[in-house]
Amino acid sequence: MASVSFNNVQKTYGNKVKVIHGITFDIQDGEFVVLVGPSGCGKSTLLRMLAGLEDISGGEISIDKTVINELESKDRDIAMVFQSYALYPHMTVRENMAFSLRLRKADAKTTQDRVAHAADILSLNPLLERYPRELSGGQRQRVAMGRAIVRDPKVFLFDEPLSNLDAKLRVAMRAEIKALHQRLKTTTVYVTHDQIEAMTMADRIVVMHDGIVEQIGTPLELFDRPGNLFVAQFIGSPSMNVFKGTVNNGSVSGLGAQWPMPPDASHVASGTVVHYGIRPGDLELASSGIAAKVVVVEPTGAETELLLQIGDQKFTLVMHGRTQVRPDDTVFLQFDAAKAHVFDGTTEQRL
Amino acid sequence: MSLKKITSEAKLLLIGIPVLLWTLFPLYHMVLFAISPRDTATSGRLWPEHPTLQNFEIVFKKQHFYLDHFWSQLGNSFFIAITVGALTLLVATTSAFAISRLKVRGGQTVMNLALFTYFIPAAFLAVPMYKTMGLYGLLNNQWALILAMVTIASPYCIWVLKQASDKLPFELDEAARIDGATALQLFWMVYLPLMVPSLVAVGTYALLLAWNEYLYAFLLLSNDLDVTLAVALGNFLSADDSPWELLMATGLVYALPPAAIYYTFKRYMVSGLTAGAVKS
Repeated sequence: MASVSFNNVQKTYGNKVKVIHGITFDIQDGEFVVLVGPSGCGKSTLLRMLAGLEDISGGEISIDKTVINELESKDRDIAMVFQSYALYPHMTVRENMAFSLRLRKADAKTTQDRVAHAADILSLNPLLERYPRELSGGQRQRVAMGRAIVRDPKVFLFDEPLSNLDAKLRVAMRAEIKALHQRLKTTTVYVTHDQIEAMTMADRIVVMHDGIVEQIGTPLELFDRPGNLFVAQFIGSPSMNVFKGTVNNGSVSGLGAQWPMPPDASHVASGTVVHYGIRPGDLELASSGIAAKVVVVEPTGAETELLLQIGDQKFTLVMHGRTQVRPDDTVFLQFDAAKAHVFDGTTEQRL
Repeated sequence: MSLKKITSEAKLLLIGIPVLLWTLFPLYHMVLFAISPRDTATSGRLWPEHPTLQNFEIVFKKQHFYLDHFWSQLGNSFFIAITVGALTLLVATTSAFAISRLKVRGGQTVMNLALFTYFIPAAFLAVPMYKTMGLYGLLNNQWALILAMVTIASPYCIWVLKQASDKLPFELDEAARIDGATALQLFWMVYLPLMVPSLVAVGTYALLLAWNEYLYAFLLLSNDLDVTLAVALGNFLSADDSPWELLMATGLVYALPPAAIYYTFKRYMVSGLTAGAVKS
């Protein structure tokens, strides 16, 4: 087990293309940290730099306070699970899992024990003599994890491990990886573009965008107090309703209505242009309030999602239970002002 | 079967049958001569009146002065072909691995040069090659032929293997590196086992190229005990009344190993040689 720290880490391809612009943060011993962001944000590159698969152009990465910039992958004591599983096709599950020990010339007993232990944890025992081609996607992913567990590394790295699985399996594997972490308590860095994966699995989330860190925090911190507009819209599903308005005597005018100012933003001066955001789940239907026209009603059973139109802006509302409203009805919205978010109109930072 | 399918099959047959006859006719001719008694081979009959295996007996028992060294010449052919196959594999596999997987500097230049060699027919290089081998003092030495054939076979083999290597997912190498493999371990434990089909195809290609080679063998070797059977077959024609039936019987024997090799490995040949033919 180990801590990991990134200190002003940069990545440049050639002399010009800079993909990571100086990233600094620490990962505690035993923590499950998820790097999340849209594709091209540099999250995989950062992970591959930690893994030793990419050179570090600037700054330092340390594991347990030892700078590892110049160390070979194999000397960093890490294990990685790839999106494509990367199982050796010509080896059985057992041989795949034992490969790293074979390279380290571990004795037969140790190898046997470690593989059996990992197979137990992941219920792979019946599959040990099979070849990867004889396994389903979920099983292959478990073998890839088994290969990592056998190593007993300081840090587990996951690079979008669930992206090749179907939706149902993804949810199951998500829980499995989280259970695995709770059992082994190995420091884990997990890369995904799926914010739901990030929210459900992470102890802390690092939101990345265009090669910089937008915000670091626990899932609920990011959800409740997004530091800027990008995080606000990236985290949460359906994503936050946002529109541009002007502060006007303690409320925000926009879309032809007055929106209450959240108490923690009451200091913002009148006339400031802001982005005003409210999460779909925080909106409620009421008998009076802000008027909206219903465009689409999407019942999903436990919840109902309404697509609404206010002025020229689409709004989403998620409510528990069911509703009698129909398209083209006019409804009224109310919400707790404390749940609203206000961001600066130009810097897009939280106010 | 629909009319459309029948017409398309008919068209295929219309091309296929002439091609088949075209290919089989020389073989038929060879077999016909090989089983004809002396002096009746050119009688013009489609099948000999008294088919015989006596010609093979003469060949195997070396009962003709052209065949004095039959077994050692056949042995030479085997030795040279197998050595060329093995050496070419060694050269091509290591090059392809270095270029495709280790991404060594200048790899692309090597690939371009390999492709460039195919603009020059091997026959053009025969004289320079003769001169080079002379400088090395290798004339009349079987290694001259072996080295020349490895030189001629390697570029194509490197090209094919490089294309096939490129298809292996790169994550496998990364996983192996993280698992602790050195480049050499990666080569032996991950790369080679996965390349087997292409290796068989390429090795067979080089082996058959050397087995069938006449020009270079003729130029670089002259001692009757050193030449390959292909050259010995050529020598049959040095006199006015060539023993055609023995020539064809020997030729038939000479044609069997390639046929056997091809038959054994045809599964790999097709998949291996087309692998990398198109970018997929």
